[in-house]
This record gives sequence, structure tokens and C-alpha cells, in this order.
Amino acid sequence: MKLELGNFYVKDIEFGAKTAFDDGILTINKEEALEVVFKDNHITEADLRIVKPGDMVRLVPVKEAIEPRFRVGGGPVFPGVTGKLRQAGEGETRCLKDMSVLVVGKHWGGFQDGLIDMGGEGAKYTHFSSLKNVVLVADTDEEFEQREQQKKNHALRWAGMRLAEYLGEAVKDLEPEDTDTYELEPLTKRSKELDELPCVAIVMQPQSQMEEKGYNDLNYGWDTNRMLPTFMHPNEILDGAMISGSFMPCSSKWATYDFQNFPLIRRLYQEHGKTVNFVGVIMSNLNVALEQKERSAQFVAQMAKSLGVDAAIVTEEGYGNPDADYIGCLVALEDAGVKTVGVSNEATGRDGGSQPLVTLDPKADALVSTGNVSELIKLPPMDEVIGELEALARDGLSGGWEDDEILGSSVKEDGSIIMENNAMFCGDRIAGWSPKTMKEF
Amino acid sequence: MKKAVVYLNQFFGQIGGEDVADHAPEIREEKVGAAMLYDQLLDAEVTHTVICGDNFMGSNTEEAVEIILDFLKDVDFDIFFAGPAFQAGRYGMACGEIGKAVKEEFDVPVISSMNIENPGVEVFKKDIYIFPGGHSAAKMRDDVKKITDFGNKILNGEKLLPAEEEGYYKRGIRHQYFLEDETPAYERAIDMLLKKINGEEFESELPIPELDLVEIAPAIEDLSETTIALVTSGGIVPVDNPDKIQSASATRWGKYDISGMDRLENRDSNNFKTIHAGYDPAAADADPNVVVPVDAMRKYEEEGRIGKLHDYFYSTVGTGTTQKEAARMGKEIAQELQDANVQAVILTST
Repeated sequence: MKLELGNFYVKDIEFGAKTAFDDGILTINKEEALEVVFKDNHITEADLRIVKPGDMVRLVPVKEAIEPRFRVGGGPVFPGVTGKLRQAGEGETRCLKDMSVLVVGKHWGGFQDGLIDMGGEGAKYTHFSSLKNVVLVADTDEEFEQREQQKKNHALRWAGMRLAEYLGEAVKDLEPEDTDTYELEPLTKRSKELDELPCVAIVMQPQSQMEEKGYNDLNYGWDTNRMLPTFMHPNEILDGAMISGSFMPCSSKWATYDFQNFPLIRRLYQEHGKTVNFVGVIMSNLNVALEQKERSAQFVAQMAKSLGVDAAIVTEEGYGNPDADYIGCLVALEDAGVKTVGVSNEATGRDGGSQPLVTLDPKADALVSTGNVSELIKLPPMDEVIGELEALARDGLSGGWEDDEILGSSVKEDGSIIMENNAMFCGDRIAGWSPKTMKEF
Repeated sequence: MKKAVVYLNQFFGQIGGEDVADHAPEIREEKVGAAMLYDQLLDAEVTHTVICGDNFMGSNTEEAVEIILDFLKDVDFDIFFAGPAFQAGRYGMACGEIGKAVKEEFDVPVISSMNIENPGVEVFKKDIYIFPGGHSAAKMRDDVKKITDFGNKILNGEKLLPAEEEGYYKRGIRHQYFLEDETPAYERAIDMLLKKINGEEFESELPIPELDLVEIAPAIEDLSETTIALVTSGGIVPVDNPDKIQSASATRWGKYDISGMDRLENRDSNNFKTIHAGYDPAAADADPNVVVPVDAMRKYEEEGRIGKLHDYFYSTVGTGTTQKEAARMGKEIAQELQDANVQAVILTST
């Protein structure tokens, strides 16, 4: 399978008469773009904003991030989600780089939503402050979940994907500045040189804990809670086969943008043919019942054995209950003779004194840590808030609170905030970007 | 100028040797013995020296600590040093005992130095900063230099680096840390993987700590005489959540009277609901007994299979809740249950 991702580097974004990409400038016809957003009757209010690195703007509640793209030859960027099912990971897809579409609730937030500071001290906590962003800030008539802590955010997330596809069309007829080519030979047809290198797979554990549909990550539109671990080509992940869900405390989240760019996959590709023989992706999941966890770990280990995998990177979208899946999978692989490295975050508490993962096992002897979900973060007021700052305290964001004996509310009268890292949008960058680790103090 | 207090034993406080190890605590408004060295090296003035015999502290710990805390309550100080204790076990334990107490009472930084063989290291490294020190007083100057350098960093408000860089014994306290060179996780993961594949040495970023496992209690033979309580981390509370238990990362728990109730009535009837944000609340809101099975327990009670269901159930939220907070809440609840003569608990999660 061969995938060509054509890159168009976005240097600036502005509103104008016609949606077009020219010489690094993405111009957006706001009215036309909003028509795309309003195609869903459930969207009641919507606006578009542009934010750039260094802007003293705070975004909250942020629900999703998506890289705008265009699938050459037509077809949905997210097969099985924004259009018909088709094979992802083959052919050519054009990407607007250094930018994302961010989806922000105009009022209502929830457990799974997060915060982004584009400038100031808070900017260091998230990847998205380093991008130019088109912000869709909108409200919906999904009243059934307005006051619920867990929100599916369906209308908003899908509006974000439509918008990303609409913006992607700006490069429909243009030649990319450069192209990343991703190709792996079929497993049984690889060269002798490749076969002599250690076989490496990446095991992904996307978030799938909710029994009810509408919250979990989707695999070609299929709820990952309802799947058994399956073998996938890495190109599929990079090309829209997976979309993010709406459940996990936000710093542990993989946004759809993260799936599209998954740095661990891209980095393994660089090693392919040099130091490793990159086998592909074993797509697992994170379910709550013990038997489901054990079944998934068993499937992963079986696949690794059957494929002749020598070493694997296991990475988990979440913490807490899913740590059992994470450690269980690492142990099952080690028991099958596969050398593992794990990539995830920790939950050591505000004082740093708690057990880092819910379950631990000495066999998980090579772990990369990307952050502490419960680290307290204090940030000064910003010049502007897009969305509603009060949502951080009022709506049960995983890192926010309404009242605390010592700390008071997460949102102060002057607009400054105190929160747990939990509410930082994709703050632990578990997909691989994290410049953070965990240290003893 | 900031102010420091130094704790020394009878020997380094120049009272005498083993024969005066029973020396009761005293405080002097001056620099005695090693305290003079501290004074030279610190960006603070050592205003007081506390001296106590190692045996006195060892055999009358509570009394000694009480006396010393009482001395210090009117002293204005910014930092507290104890030792260095080298390999002297009793001295190390004394430095730890008093250091921990001062830290808790006055919330000032407390720093000590001990040789790795000193039992005080293992017992107190979680409570105070302890730096590795020499075997004997020959290393006095080096050891005091190390801990005063670190003390100066704190006094001057400099950024403190991780334990391995500052040099003190690791304490099991883990915080997130932005790497100076910003090496992203994907580079660290690939690097670790290649090293592991090639049989080279690598360093896990999360060394697996010793596990704190609790043994399962022996089974109760006869339940018909037993009072059983229901305790849950499933977040079942009265609909107004009177104890304001958090929906995630909980630090609070509540106890709710169920005497006279045959079952927990649900959210729609304005009685009980779940506030737990880590699972789908629909089933628990519709019937809270699926998380806190009061209905089933009453049945058992009626049939005589259990003696009695305790009059209160206890509730908190387990999602995101740290193990340390969970252990504290567990201890508090366990104490209440013991005081109420409850003999067994059914712990339900989600």
C-alpha cells in the first residue's frame, strides 16, 4: 500500500472573498464556510475565528482538532464517517500543514473537553498552540446532553470534520510543496534485507470505554468498543481511518489531528529498512470489563506471534481504568517473547505521591512517560476567551472544578485559572509529541 | 537575611560522647559546633542550634519532639537542617524524626545528610530531603557543603531540578517535567526500543516501584451474626450531593443513612443518583441499587443470611482519584466502620 501525503504549508490564514490557498496564505470565505457548518440543523449558532501562535487568546471548551485535507480523486477524508466507506491509506491525500480546525463549544463543555492557551505561559502545554488554527465556535440544540457531564458532541465534531474537508478543497487543483510517501511492502513479499531486521509493530489502544454508542473513537466509522484487536496498515491511520471520540479526560486524548499525524508511526517509518522492519499496526482498544481487557491482550499477543513481531511499541489513549489494558497488553507481549516499550502518561496526584499507573508489573520495564494528568496548573488571565471560560468550572471538565476548600473555583473573577493538567487539550501528547517526562522530586 | 536552625546530637553539639547520649533537648541562641560551618556556607544566618542526645530522642521520641517543637514555636526561621548523621543509625533516625515533625508543624524546607547505610534514609527520605553523605565525620565539610548548596537554591528561589540532578535520595514523588532539550516522546520511545532490541542498557522513565499489596482477609464463617456495610467508589449520593463529592479526582467521601430503606430510590424520584464521571450513569441513575445493592442486602437480612446491614453506606468517586487520596479516604472510612462494630464490608466499584 502506498500513500502520498502532499504538504501545503500554511503560513497565514485570513478571511476573504474566496476560499483559496495561494503562496502559503489560506483565505477563507467565512459565509460559505459557515454554510458548510450549518448543513446540520442541530447547529444553532456558529462563528469562525482565526488564532495564531502567540495570540493572547484562551480557547475553552475545546472538543476536537482536525487537519484540513483533500482526498485526490474525491471521496471522504474520513471514510465511513463523513462519507461512504472506502479504503484509506492508498493513493494521494493533500494536507494543509501547520494548521488545524479547532472545535470549541460556545457555551457548554464536559468531562472530555479541554483548554488551549495560544500565547503566554500556558502555550507550552499543548501542541495546538504551535499551529495556526481556524476555530469553529458553535452551539447546538442537543439539549439532552447540555447539562450532562459526558457529551457526545456529535453535531460539533461532525461540523468540524465537514469544515476541515471544505478547507481541504482549497488545494484540490494545486501541486503540493513536497510530498511524504509512505509505503510498506506486503508482509510475505519483503526483501531478504528487510526480513533480517527486527520486526516491529505499533500497538494502539484508542479510547473505547463507553458501552453506549457516540462517545468512542471510530475505526472507519465503527465503534472501537465493538471491535476485537485487528491488524491495520499504518497508512490507514495517517489517512483518516480513525477519528477521535468524546470521552477521555482531555490531556490523555488523541484528537483526530493526532491520528492523522501520529508521530510514533511516522518516526517508525523513518527507521523502516534501516534499523527495523516495520510490520504495521495492531489496533486494539480499551474496554472496561476485565474479560474484555484480557481478550484484547490475548488477541494482540497472538497477532504479534503470528506476524513474527520481535518488538512493539504499545500506546494508550487514557489513564486510570485503561492502565489495566495497557499494562496487561505489555505483559502479554513480553510473555510472548516480544520486547516492548510503552508510551503513556501517569497519574501521580497533585502532590506527586501516588502510584503512577493503576496497575504495574515489573515486566513493563521500558516505559516512556508523557506527563502527570493531575499536575496543578495556574495561568493568568488572557486578553480574550473564545468559548466560555466558566465552562471550565461549571461543566465538569475533568481538570476543572466549581469549588474546592483550599483552591476555590477553577475560574477566578479576574479571568485567571487553576486547573489540573487533565483539562489541557491533548496536553500529554501521547501520540508522541510530548516534550514532557516524569521525574522524581 | 533569612534565618536557619540547625539540629545536632550531643556529640556534634559539643556536649559529650556516648556517656551523655541521654542529654535532654536544649536550644541555644547561638551557633554551636557544626552550626558554625553551616553559618559560613549558607545565604542565611544560623540563629539557633538545637541539641539533643541520640538516646533521649530514641527512647522518648514523642517527648523530645514535643519539647523541640515547643522551643521553635516562637523562633522565626526559613529553613531547618539536621545532621549530617553519616552512618550513625540513632542520629540518622533522630534527624528524621525531628525533621519530619518540623516540616509538618512549620512547613519550612528540611534538609539532612546521611550515608546510604543509615536506616534513617529508608524511613524518612519521603518526608524530608536527605542527601547521600560520608561514613564518618571526616566528610563533615563535604556533606554540609552539599546540603547548604541545595538550601541556598531554595532560599534564593532558584528552580529546583529533579532529585537525580540535585542529588538527594529519591522520594517516590513524581512530577511532570519539561525536558531541557525538548526531545519528544516519539524519539525517546524509538531510542528505548532500539536499545532494548539490541540488548543495550536503557532507562525506563517509569521504574516500577515496589507494590503495596494488601493481603486478602480470611473468610467469615458465619454471616448470620455479621453486620455488613456497603462502601462504594461508584459515586452514589443523595441527588443534591450534600458532601460535594467531586465527579473525578475525588478527595471527599460521604456517609448516608439507609436505616429503614428497603432499597435506594432513584434520581427520578429525587433520591439517589451517581455523580461519577467515569462511566455511563444511565443504569445507576435509573436504579442506584445496581451500584449500592441495598435491595439485595435487605433480602439477605430478611432471610437471616446476614446479621444486619449497617445503617449507613459510604460513597466516593473512584475515577481519576489518586491512590494516595483513596488510601486516606479508605482509612477514614475503615475507622468509622470499626468504631461502629461493622465486621465486614462489601466494596462496590462501577
